[in-house]
Amino acid sequence: MRILLVEDDPVLAEGLARALRAENFAVDVAGNGEDGGHLGSTELYDAAILDLGLPRRDGVSVLRDWRAEGRTLPVLILTARDAWSEKVAGFKAGADDYLTKPFRTEEVVMRLRALVRRAAGHAGARIECGPLSFDAQLGQFELDGLPLKLTAFEWRVLSALMLRKEVVIERSDLIERVYEGDADVDSNSIEVIIGRLRKKIGTDRIETVRGRGYRLTAGTA
Amino acid sequence: MRIWPRSLFGRLLAVAVLGTIVALAFAAFTIGHVLERFVTRSLDQQLDAQVAVLARAVGPDGRLDRSRAVNLPAFEETGSGWGWRVDGAAGHWSQGAAFEPELERWRHHRERRDDDDRPPQAGPRPGEGRDRSGERVHFRQMSVPTAVGPVLLTAAGPRRVSDQPLVEAMAPLLLSLGVLGFALGAATLLQLRFGLRPLRALRRDLTAVREGRARHIPSDQPAEIAPLAIELNALIDQNEEGLAHARRHVANLAHGLKTPLAALAVRLAEPGRDPDGALGEMVAQVDRRLRHHLGRARAAAPGANQRLRTDIAPAIADLIHALGRIHAERAVVATARIAPDLAVAVDPQDLDEMVGNLLDNAWRHARSTIDIAAAREGPIVRIVIGDDGAGLSEDFLDEALVPGRRLDERGEGHGFGLPIAQELAELNGGTLTLGRAPSGGLSATLALPAPGVDGSP
Repeated sequence: MRILLVEDDPVLAEGLARALRAENFAVDVAGNGEDGGHLGSTELYDAAILDLGLPRRDGVSVLRDWRAEGRTLPVLILTARDAWSEKVAGFKAGADDYLTKPFRTEEVVMRLRALVRRAAGHAGARIECGPLSFDAQLGQFELDGLPLKLTAFEWRVLSALMLRKEVVIERSDLIERVYEGDADVDSNSIEVIIGRLRKKIGTDRIETVRGRGYRLTAGTA
Repeated sequence: MRIWPRSLFGRLLAVAVLGTIVALAFAAFTIGHVLERFVTRSLDQQLDAQVAVLARAVGPDGRLDRSRAVNLPAFEETGSGWGWRVDGAAGHWSQGAAFEPELERWRHHRERRDDDDRPPQAGPRPGEGRDRSGERVHFRQMSVPTAVGPVLLTAAGPRRVSDQPLVEAMAPLLLSLGVLGFALGAATLLQLRFGLRPLRALRRDLTAVREGRARHIPSDQPAEIAPLAIELNALIDQNEEGLAHARRHVANLAHGLKTPLAALAVRLAEPGRDPDGALGEMVAQVDRRLRHHLGRARAAAPGANQRLRTDIAPAIADLIHALGRIHAERAVVATARIAPDLAVAVDPQDLDEMVGNLLDNAWRHARSTIDIAAAREGPIVRIVIGDDGAGLSEDFLDEALVPGRRLDERGEGHGFGLPIAQELAELNGGTLTLGRAPSGGLSATLALPAPGVDGSP
């Protein structure tokens, strides 16, 4: 899960990004409205956390532009503006959720996970795929009822596949959802992660669709 | 020491009444004087004629020739108050009423002084006196030089002969002046009431501004008051601007503090930094205080909203949309039954804040449904928000509206929305009451002022 964090306060941005990475999110940070708007328009994100009082461009106008361009990524507004009129204005601009500062980090994590899950079309928190199950709210995988230990990269790849189970995800999409914007991506690294995941959850679960990408499937096993 | 009344009305009335009294008194005096001279002159003419007859009857030896002293008709009647006398060294003669001179008229002295270059005997001089019966008489007197010295010729007539027509003329004159005085007084009162009416209207307009029924004083004022109205409106604007500035300042301060506070909270949430959560609770306390004061700063000026008109239905629809997303994980259905044209005389942001807090509270506690109904009852609009949650016991219903009292520690910042909604309702001239909903949950009723007739577009 790759998140765009648009927040101008460097201390808060850094602290929140660290907390989100600890929860396996890939996080790109933008320090002003212009950069944030550009990243949201051009890169692929599972969700965005958007401050409203931003330098150069206000968050509401950034959000409005994304929606006008047809960008449907879930947006969580995270702001000091806590009046209900401001919240209503945020939702009218196209926000999916709204949190006011100060906030509890767990609250942000829970809401982000819920946004990403619902955007992928899952109403309930639990997603099953054969013997594999994913609690999208707690971010935990289980295999045959037992907790599955994963590295951050493995978690990102598997959660991306799990949220779109039985659907082919293009390799380039998968790379975008797993690596942060400034990461130095090795051309084979996704294959390496897929290989490690196959060892953990079974080779048949992840199909390679030649020339297109990968698919998580309940399979026949 | 204060001589003049403090009120403009009193001052103008006092000046007008004093001026009228002085003018009327002067008129009465001058007209009376002219009248008196007029009626006295005819008496004087008769007396002067008699004096002239007597003068011709006095010989060079100072003796009166009675055969030549012909009496004018009035002097023939005895006891009528008419009479004459001749006093000289050669003897005393008299006819008719006997009288004694009492005083000479002041004008007489003055005339004599003024006429110093002429002989004093030039003509008869006036005088006043009384006859034997005590009746006042008017006389004319002249001194005639003879060989034995001056002979004094005096002819007197009763004062009533001139007084009677004077009294007859003065009575209706004074009555007319009195009526004129009353008419002028009444006109002055009317003029003052009419003339000072714009001042009373200005006071009413200013009261309306203070009570929030109007934003400004109407500008269509009389020329003398228009500059005052303009200055007052400028003052009102300045005051409003100052208030808005102060509110923005508080809001900026609160918002400015929230981001570092959020950064602090994020740092504290990192593993090992705040093991027992005490520091996190302190951050939460700071946040609660900030939100409390921000809420108060955000509240519009008390009662300044009677001219406002905020439609309820779209505001609540927007809030339901927003809250549906905020609480997307809770399967709660909110149903609003509100007439599309129903409005309240409340600032739109205040309405959002009150209803938003109450709906948020309902959403946190509802099992599955929230009912929102609104209806106008005369001058107020009641908005009732009921949920089907566990509700509050009678004891907690009172405590729920104590600021900062957290009845339920589950939700973040919960227990805070109710007092904010209550405070805003009261600042807007309304009330918030809590009760039990038909479905058993909490029912919150906001009573807010309805737009007045002049608030309708």
